[in-house]
Amino acid sequence: MYQYSGLILFAPLLSFVIIVFGTRVWDMTSRPKKVQITTHDGHNTYEGEGHEQEAHVGAELAYASVPAVTTAAVAHGAQDATAHAEDQAAAAHGANLDDHGEDDDEDPKVAHLSAGAIVSGYVGIGIMLLAAIYSWFLLLSSLSDTAFQKTGAFVWSYDWLKQKGGVGDYTIAFHIDTLGLAMLVVVTTVSLLVHFYSQGYMEDSAGYARFYAYLALFTFSMLVIVFAQNFLVIFIGWELVGLSSYLLIGFWINKKAKPEEQRPSPANAAMQAFVTNRIGDVGFIIGIMILFVNTGTFDFPTLFVKAPQVMSQGLLATAMILVFCGAIGKSAQVPLHVWLPSAMEGPTPVSALIHAATMVAAGVYMVARVFPLFVAAGPVALLTVAWVGGITALFAATIALVQSDFKRVLAFSTISQLGYMFVGLGVSGLGGPETAAIYSTGPGMFHLFTHAFFKALLFLGAGSVLHSLHHATHKEVQDMRLMGGLGPKMPITALTWLIATLSISGFPFLAGFFSKETIIGLTAQRGQWALFIITLGTSGLTAFYMLRAFILAFGGTDGKYGGMWGGTYRGVGNPKESPRTMTIPLLLLAIPSIIAGYWFGFFPYVGAREALDVAGLFTDPLTYVGIAVSLVGLVIAYFMYARLNPARLHTIVENNAALRTLHRIFYNRYYVDEFYNLLIKYGVLGLSHVEQAFDTYIVDGLVNGVARLVTTLGRDIRYTETGRVQSYMIGFFGGVAVLTVVALVLVNFVAK
Amino acid sequence: MGLSLNHFLVLGAMLFCIGLYGAIAKRNAIAVLMGIEIMLNAVNITMVAFSFYNHVNANGVNYSGLLTGQIFAIFIITVAAAEAAVALAMVISIYRKRNTVDVSDIDMMKW
Repeated sequence: MYQYSGLILFAPLLSFVIIVFGTRVWDMTSRPKKVQITTHDGHNTYEGEGHEQEAHVGAELAYASVPAVTTAAVAHGAQDATAHAEDQAAAAHGANLDDHGEDDDEDPKVAHLSAGAIVSGYVGIGIMLLAAIYSWFLLLSSLSDTAFQKTGAFVWSYDWLKQKGGVGDYTIAFHIDTLGLAMLVVVTTVSLLVHFYSQGYMEDSAGYARFYAYLALFTFSMLVIVFAQNFLVIFIGWELVGLSSYLLIGFWINKKAKPEEQRPSPANAAMQAFVTNRIGDVGFIIGIMILFVNTGTFDFPTLFVKAPQVMSQGLLATAMILVFCGAIGKSAQVPLHVWLPSAMEGPTPVSALIHAATMVAAGVYMVARVFPLFVAAGPVALLTVAWVGGITALFAATIALVQSDFKRVLAFSTISQLGYMFVGLGVSGLGGPETAAIYSTGPGMFHLFTHAFFKALLFLGAGSVLHSLHHATHKEVQDMRLMGGLGPKMPITALTWLIATLSISGFPFLAGFFSKETIIGLTAQRGQWALFIITLGTSGLTAFYMLRAFILAFGGTDGKYGGMWGGTYRGVGNPKESPRTMTIPLLLLAIPSIIAGYWFGFFPYVGAREALDVAGLFTDPLTYVGIAVSLVGLVIAYFMYARLNPARLHTIVENNAALRTLHRIFYNRYYVDEFYNLLIKYGVLGLSHVEQAFDTYIVDGLVNGVARLVTTLGRDIRYTETGRVQSYMIGFFGGVAVLTVVALVLVNFVAK
Repeated sequence: MGLSLNHFLVLGAMLFCIGLYGAIAKRNAIAVLMGIEIMLNAVNITMVAFSFYNHVNANGVNYSGLLTGQIFAIFIITVAAAEAAVALAMVISIYRKRNTVDVSDIDMMKW
């Protein structure tokens, strides 16, 4: 039964293949034929790259609706025509799509989805539905299956490269155990809901089918990590996730940067995500190589036994810290967190998928997966994990306090919550293998498990708001200062968002409360008081910024229930509740956001010795301190944003030098992006200039110098070529004579 | 004092030098060819002389039955005949085209 979970692994790959080679081709070919473009060249055909195709679709629209433009564009070169078409695309939907008015975003739209596109969506949803059902079935049946809980189950393996003696084999191996199964359920569930939700969110996108193909590829990549049984496979999945996130973040390839909102263009954001992840991956792969060179295996179970035996603890700690570098990149921890806020430029369902279940969770899952190695590597490695997590949690939470971009608050909140998970993992492993076994990966993974649901809910809710505002204002609005009072206008979104907000804030009896309080309690239990203070403070900050975002978007000072619900809407148009395809996933996600924390057996399920001590949690005074801190955060946010006039708040901050400076620093994200830009500008580019000079003057100089020398020599010596046979003959016989003399001298004088 | 190997070698060397001088110094193509023929025959004399005189090696083995030098000479004569025929044909052809057989004038193939 468990062995067939390989079907879940390959299901998204199947839907990717079906969409890319089947329904998407159908979609592309069934689009209306366009005006003949005479200057059309080969790369711009229907078989070409996806982005060009859509630019093309934009072109069709432009040609169809603005005949005057057509002739003008045809007169230009093919490339000009494409660029022109992009510019005209926005104007085109204005004319073509009644309900879209003056849209300012450059994403190409179609009036009606073709049958091929719709079927693409159904294929993706259907296959994910089957995968999700099967993974839930496996999870439920594994709860009572102690044999499975002990060893997990082998799924599939393939000897890619075998070496003599069986040492250093490269094997593609997949297996599933309780840790993987917990993750699997999260991935398939969130992915299914995101697939479903995208029907509404991407309703008129020209890239609808392509979007579903990418979603499936992304899910497959993540499942490769979940099922990985060795470092080789996890690395393959790791890079696949990097690739598919690149494709998805840069999905709206035609959109431009918005400097006034500090927002990069999606293409650049995708690039940034990819490159930043590569930096972490350098450490990751070096760490893997150190382990492989010393133990001759990638295989996790073998490594757990062998690595501590054959490697010194210092070397193992170095290797594990390097491996953790990969997690820093993928899970957006300081200092490689910069890509995640930029990744908000992708479509919002993608943000939900990246930030809740895949990609960023991959780092945490990987650390949990090789947790015994971290324990064996000793406190240095574990404290690195915990402190990177702790610093990130606080750092990101402070930034989130003042961000005005709706999605960006959530982005920093994700970074912060991932920090919590790393604190949970790092602190849980402290104190030797015996102590580490008590909670094992429990606290970190538990928070990952609960966080996945409420963070997916938050993102999908945010997407619902943005979608609705986009329809109402015909612009892309992400600034919370242009929202407000949306509660009564979109009640389902607002209510579910409130549930997720309270859950992430650690409000008692919701999912986030149990997982977060466990981590905070654990830091105290292990005597890491500095981390305890950090995590405790961060939970207060989390509560503050989440409620702030809620009130700014859905409430207002003149709203009901003391400003929590409704009030003045600060934008234009009349936002309405999103369609059912979008609200159903929100409602479904609200359920685990409340109850996911009640799986008290989670710790032993993923291999810990003890379960979550619920009774102990409620008798521990520290828990009440934690609750109090969260409540303080919530109350402050309530009074600042629901009771206080925003203008007044603004004056207070502006008139206080300390607050003003602090606000600037937080708002500009500690200037880390600026710092990196300077570093790239002067460090990397400076080095590049030096290297370029080396190349120009030394390398090229050498090559050109040799060429010049040969040319000069040839030009000067050619006059010996007289064309007369007799002069050659003199040369020949003279040469022989000289050689004879030399030979005679050598034989008679030197050789003797 | 009869004839020894050295006499033949000196003769060969003298003939070779005469031939070489002719081949290098003469401006008439026919004379150059004749010089080449003399050089070839100088080599022939040397070959045959070596073969004739050095028929016992250091270990006392007699090679007198082996006519390597003589066979070489016959080959060279054959080749020389062919060469002379080809060279004369070329000289005639050049003469017909350019009305000269002066080798210092035939220098088209230079830089």
